[in-house]
Amino acid sequence: MIVFLARRFFWFLLTVWVVFTISFFLMRAVPGGPFDGERKLEPDVKQAIERRYRVNEPLLEQYAYHLGMAVGVLTEEGTFHLGFPDLGPSYRIRDYSVNQIIAQGLPVSASLGILALAFGLLVGISAGIIAALRRQTWIDASVMVLATTGMAVPNFWMAGVCIILFVFMIPLFPAAGWGSVSNLVLPAFCLGAPYAAYIARLTRTGMLEVLHQDYIRTARAKGLSGTRVVLRHALKAALLPVVSFLGPAAAGILTGSLVIEKVFHLSGIGSYFVEAALQRDYPLAMGVVLIYTVVLYIMNVIVDISYAIMDPRIELQ
Amino acid sequence: MPKTIRKLFPLVAFAALVSAIFWATSLGTLPPAEFTFNNGTEPKSLDPAQVTGSPEGRIVRALFEGLYRPNPETLEPLPAMALTANPDEILSEDGRIYTFPLRTGAVWSDGQPVTAEDFRWSWQRLLHPETGSQYHFVLSAYVVNAAKYNAGIVDPGDQVEIELPDRSRSQQLFPRGTMLYGKLLTIERPEALSLDTDSGGEASQNKRKWIYTVEIDGVARRFSQQPPINDAVEKCRHVLLDFDQVGIRVLDPYRLEVELNSPTPYFLYLMQFYVTVPVNRSCIEQHGYPDWIRPENIVVNGPFQIDFRRLRDRIRLKKNEHYWDASSVQLQTVDALAVESSTTGLNMYLDGDVDWMPSPPSEVIPQLEGRRDYHSMSSLSIYFYRLNVTRKPFDDPLVRMALSRAVDRERICKSILRAGQEPAYSLVPPVLPHYSAAQAPEYNLEAARRLLAQAGYPGGRGLRSIEILFNTSDGHRKIAEAIQQDWQRLGIDVRLRNLEWQTYLSTTRKMDYDVARAGWIGDYPDPNTFLDLFVTDGVQNETGWGNREFDQLIENATRESNPEKRMQILHRAEEIIMGELPVMPLYFYVSTNLVKPYVRGFFSNSQDLHPLISISIDQAARKRDRQRKDGT
Repeated sequence: MIVFLARRFFWFLLTVWVVFTISFFLMRAVPGGPFDGERKLEPDVKQAIERRYRVNEPLLEQYAYHLGMAVGVLTEEGTFHLGFPDLGPSYRIRDYSVNQIIAQGLPVSASLGILALAFGLLVGISAGIIAALRRQTWIDASVMVLATTGMAVPNFWMAGVCIILFVFMIPLFPAAGWGSVSNLVLPAFCLGAPYAAYIARLTRTGMLEVLHQDYIRTARAKGLSGTRVVLRHALKAALLPVVSFLGPAAAGILTGSLVIEKVFHLSGIGSYFVEAALQRDYPLAMGVVLIYTVVLYIMNVIVDISYAIMDPRIELQ
Repeated sequence: MPKTIRKLFPLVAFAALVSAIFWATSLGTLPPAEFTFNNGTEPKSLDPAQVTGSPEGRIVRALFEGLYRPNPETLEPLPAMALTANPDEILSEDGRIYTFPLRTGAVWSDGQPVTAEDFRWSWQRLLHPETGSQYHFVLSAYVVNAAKYNAGIVDPGDQVEIELPDRSRSQQLFPRGTMLYGKLLTIERPEALSLDTDSGGEASQNKRKWIYTVEIDGVARRFSQQPPINDAVEKCRHVLLDFDQVGIRVLDPYRLEVELNSPTPYFLYLMQFYVTVPVNRSCIEQHGYPDWIRPENIVVNGPFQIDFRRLRDRIRLKKNEHYWDASSVQLQTVDALAVESSTTGLNMYLDGDVDWMPSPPSEVIPQLEGRRDYHSMSSLSIYFYRLNVTRKPFDDPLVRMALSRAVDRERICKSILRAGQEPAYSLVPPVLPHYSAAQAPEYNLEAARRLLAQAGYPGGRGLRSIEILFNTSDGHRKIAEAIQQDWQRLGIDVRLRNLEWQTYLSTTRKMDYDVARAGWIGDYPDPNTFLDLFVTDGVQNETGWGNREFDQLIENATRESNPEKRMQILHRAEEIIMGELPVMPLYFYVSTNLVKPYVRGFFSNSQDLHPLISISIDQAARKRDRQRKDGT
């Protein structure tokens, strides 16, 4: 276990470094600078800004500087100092550093993501089990139709329909905003619905496969009740595909969704993935890319460990 | 894997899920503010010297107050930190020197008085090259020597200020390092290594190696920003004109003198612009940028203070009890929401979460028209196309005229924009009361065909295909497509090219385009704000066009003290540019607002300015409005 984690940690550092390097150079290869505004600046003024943010230095020097800061061995002034990783100031939201922006936005995205994921798991797994047990009945058919629709419908459409239904026709929830649990119901539902649909399909397939295994027949022959067989024996194995889907899904859902955050005016980090790149806010774009990498990596490690726990045939190497 | 772990795993996973859900729903509730408006986006900054856009402007105007503030109805300057706006009391005979008497009772939110020194220091900060303000021109274009200070230009013989490189934190502008003052004797310019001297960045790089010899207290000392190694040259951070040479002077704590290059009839309008507000020196020196803007640190002199700021969600403002005119501020708390999607904003407005929503989505405007809470007004801004006159065939005025006369602006306004926009045939919008704009010839396809033939391209034969450049947006695309069709009727092959905003900006700046979409919002209510863009080699010109007579007229207008004659001169200048059409006006923007009927003190005006200080809520009417909504 320890060896496994140590090895994973090494690969983690390597992955993050590679992602950092590729993103760093890709972002700067796009034309248009972060400080091109509508009004032209005096050359000296422009230079002063560029010097302040160090965008006029040779690319490799910039790279070393930003890497040093991101690793936590350089301060903003470029002096040596051991500390917390610092991604520097944002170019666009100038009153904040990238660390502060992420610290403010990530909890919002994460709490929405957790609710959506919880909704997806609860609804998806139950629907999947029911569909598998009632295979080829109208229940199974309608669950699967719903699931296919849920996966196919884009979430901005779903959000629009939900707002018309539950904000304007039946005024149950606020239109948008952040501040109370009722604000989160609609966005969590819209964000979680496609996941619920996908999880339902995975659970159903897994369940159907498991239900025909010999050990399930043995369990039944022992005289165990139907519920006990399903929950105790079948479900554990049937959920394995769901668990492996959860790793990348959780990473995606926790780091926010551009569409849902826009439609419901939630101040998460989802929108930065697109905006920061468009506005040439290099440090912020780097920040969200790195956060995504880190969350994805951690989720995958958790999935691997859960796998080993749930399936005795798998060993951590 | 040990068996106990395997047994415990489902429990642990379940417990983790439950506690995560518990954490996710454990957010505190927030009571609504008295007045909530949609500010459109997260302000880029709240530092008055850094900001440019209207979302930032709305907040900065609420937090700080300059010499004047606009009358919410007429936009005429109202005395704010200055005591009077009467020109007889503050303006010299020759119209060049303003002496502003300041209000003695005004204090910062830390209790210290607001003095003339605060203005001088704030304006120095605004003009300092390192601040990098985009709107420095509000001072630098008018105040004596301000442009020289801002651009970092010094000449031998000048009094200069030298900053040594000993700042406590290198990354911020203020507080500064040790300052030395003296007289500049000579500048040594080492040979530029590169032959390419016209690129600004390169020239600026070389300038860092210049060696300045300065006489300080009778001793000549040599300084450079990048001193050569092994030489008796001291390193310095900046060599700038001594700020005492700039026409901003403190006569006494409550009298500020500003000396202009030439009479500027609209100068008081500039003084109500949000970049000219004073900022608190001790606060900035103590915390530095950007920490001084944090709600817990910021010191303000305006009607409101920041209560808290949640990034991309809202800025909550609360009434500033220290404000000199606090008794006339009606609102106790204000929320400025950063809702970016205008559809979401509209939903929140209709749902009653928002009281004022600027710029509702254009698709619904036909439905909003006629509603009591919908306000629209032509604004001081224009949508136009730049033509690159350094390229063929746009160097030929006949071709430019033909292109302009072939565009059916009426159709663009009526069938694409549909929010009451006016077709534009002049550069200056028709909202300025004392000015009549010079018109370009109207839409006439036949005339356009004749002009094109006259230019040597009958039926478009012999003309290369031309490209319309615009920044990526559906709205701009639709207009470009309409114009593409119009020009195809002349027999011209037209291609469209869209670039996202930052790339578009740098592409037009490099003049790597044929025809480029542009917009301009007037900075002050005077024709000059539109016309002086296009003086020869002006920084915003970007068309390559230049006309001696035009330049001369713009220049003359600044010297003319008779307002009526001045308007005639500017009209003549506009006639020239509308005769040559290096830019093709398309339409004038309208400002649109949705405002709940219980909001008082909200007026439509041409600059779309709605100071929070004058807004109040009719609580009884609000209650009735809420009940009506619940009833339906």
